[in-house]
Amino acid sequence: MSDKNVLNAINKSTDLPFSEHSEDKMPEVKSVFREVLPKQGQLSMEDVPTMILCKPKLLPLKSVTLEKLEKMQMEAQEAVKQQELAGREQLQ
Amino acid sequence: MEVTMDPLFLAWSYFRRRKFQQCSDICSKILQDSPYDQAAWSLKTRALTEMVYIDEIEVDQEGIAEMMLDESSIAQVARPGTSLRLPGTSQGGGPTQAVRPMTQSGRPITGFVRPSTQSGRPGTMEQAIKTPRTASTARPVTSASGRFIRLGTASMLTNPDGPFINLSRLNLAKYSQKPDLSRTLFEFIFHHENDVKNVSVNVDYYSCNTNFIFLVQALDLAAQATEHAQFKDWWWKVQLGKCYYRLGLYREAEKQFRSALNHQEVVDTYLYLAKVYQRLDQPITALNLFKQGLDHFPGEVTLLTGIARIHEEMNNIPSATEYYKDVLKQDNTHVEAIACIGSNHFYTDQPEIALRFYRRLLQMGVYNCQLYNNLGLCCFYAQQYDMTLSSFERALALVANDEELSDVWYNIGHVAVGIGDLTLAYQCFKLALAFNNDHAEAYNNLAVLELRKGRIEQSKAFLQTAASLAPHMYEPHFNLSILSEKIGDLQSSYTAAQKSEDTFPEHVDTQQLLKQLRQHFAVL
Repeated sequence: MSDKNVLNAINKSTDLPFSEHSEDKMPEVKSVFREVLPKQGQLSMEDVPTMILCKPKLLPLKSVTLEKLEKMQMEAQEAVKQQELAGREQLQ
Repeated sequence: MEVTMDPLFLAWSYFRRRKFQQCSDICSKILQDSPYDQAAWSLKTRALTEMVYIDEIEVDQEGIAEMMLDESSIAQVARPGTSLRLPGTSQGGGPTQAVRPMTQSGRPITGFVRPSTQSGRPGTMEQAIKTPRTASTARPVTSASGRFIRLGTASMLTNPDGPFINLSRLNLAKYSQKPDLSRTLFEFIFHHENDVKNVSVNVDYYSCNTNFIFLVQALDLAAQATEHAQFKDWWWKVQLGKCYYRLGLYREAEKQFRSALNHQEVVDTYLYLAKVYQRLDQPITALNLFKQGLDHFPGEVTLLTGIARIHEEMNNIPSATEYYKDVLKQDNTHVEAIACIGSNHFYTDQPEIALRFYRRLLQMGVYNCQLYNNLGLCCFYAQQYDMTLSSFERALALVANDEELSDVWYNIGHVAVGIGDLTLAYQCFKLALAFNNDHAEAYNNLAVLELRKGRIEQSKAFLQTAASLAPHMYEPHFNLSILSEKIGDLQSSYTAAQKSEDTFPEHVDTQQLLKQLRQHFAVL
């Protein structure tokens, strides 16, 4: 069985979503290398440690009390700022 | 002819509709005409209290001073599973650090923040000064009363004529005999005056202790009132306990709450008492107390939530989830329970179930940046790609501050990594850093992307920044170790791997790397 036949057989059996796509593209590229599909022997994979990303972070929802506290804090800061501004204007 | 409403009735009506400012204004007018009108006085006190009222059960601010100079703990090195201070001892087999991110205090990230979840118990002073990761409100440096000081500023400024009640001139003994007035007066001192007076901290050098003075006044009033009630009134005992708790006298507080429970079984008292035990670092006692409370009040949601919270804090996520499910059986709109179960499903590899929980929250009317961000993440990992980006767009539109914005961009960066658009991912992580320069996770992920581009020095610099910003994360140390090993710097690779092992002892890759390095050294 030639390699192309093997590929077709695989595509037909698994019906991969990209199978048609690869069919369209494949004949145009004339590959220099011949694929090797080993028929026997063990498949082994080396586990190389790679760098890891930090995980996605779900944001915690805030409790009503916390929201109220933060709101009051913001208002307090605003009030202080405004008072300071007013004080400066009076000085000038 | 215009019919005018009785002003006191109008004030009452405003109070009921929670329009406290109008209520207080009307009461002030009544009091100007007849200064001895007790009804108006009492109503104004209540209105002013309600304006700044925060649920005392929920508030638990631990200042650095309390945390580092803790004298009430029983054992310095507690046995595993008996202390809230040793969060690393996971018993239940929940998701590890490799899957679920950690907060600075070494606990898995939670689905819900309360004022007390922010105060982790850091090991060193340096960590204590840094703000916790979950929510970035700064911790008061000096004492637990710090936040109350800052809160007071606004209410003081809105009262240019000076305080409504001049407490130093008040004859507390007289008021404590009048049960109708004394309760409102107490709440006023405890919640409102506690704030207001502290503004003078900026002005007067002597009044640093005013907070305590007013607490002591509240305490005085409560003590006299209890005496007047011949030590039979549970309400006053609870208030006494609250005062003691704020003053840091936990054992006295415990006595008062216990005594109050003897007179009358009330859910609140159980909650306050459990709070005392949690502060004393006795989670098991608190758990027993909650169960005792559940015997008297079966199915009480707040007690069940309390149990779930303790389990969560002790890193026993599976049983916390069990209790949160119990909570939902009683109250199926409990936001905290839904959010916690949802986040647990997300981090145990079931994003589609998490999505249902978050969608439920959306149906219930929760509408904020955090929820949309979580929905976006769940949609992406549950392969519902059509909703992902629109959710994130909404999250971006709803952000309240730069820290949230940075977190949302960080998560969008993950989506970009997931679809393989590394340029977009790079830009997202950069944006996360632009909005919050201390975002250690973003630094780490940028470092990984930089290394892919072959920029080793840049990558190394990012990793070092990440490691110094967040010593509780293992990722930067591990990545640094791998990077150093690749460029042949075995010694720094080894030290970094050791740091990674310290923060996450069960990580297999770290152990393999260490083993490999030790072999190298042995050969040399």
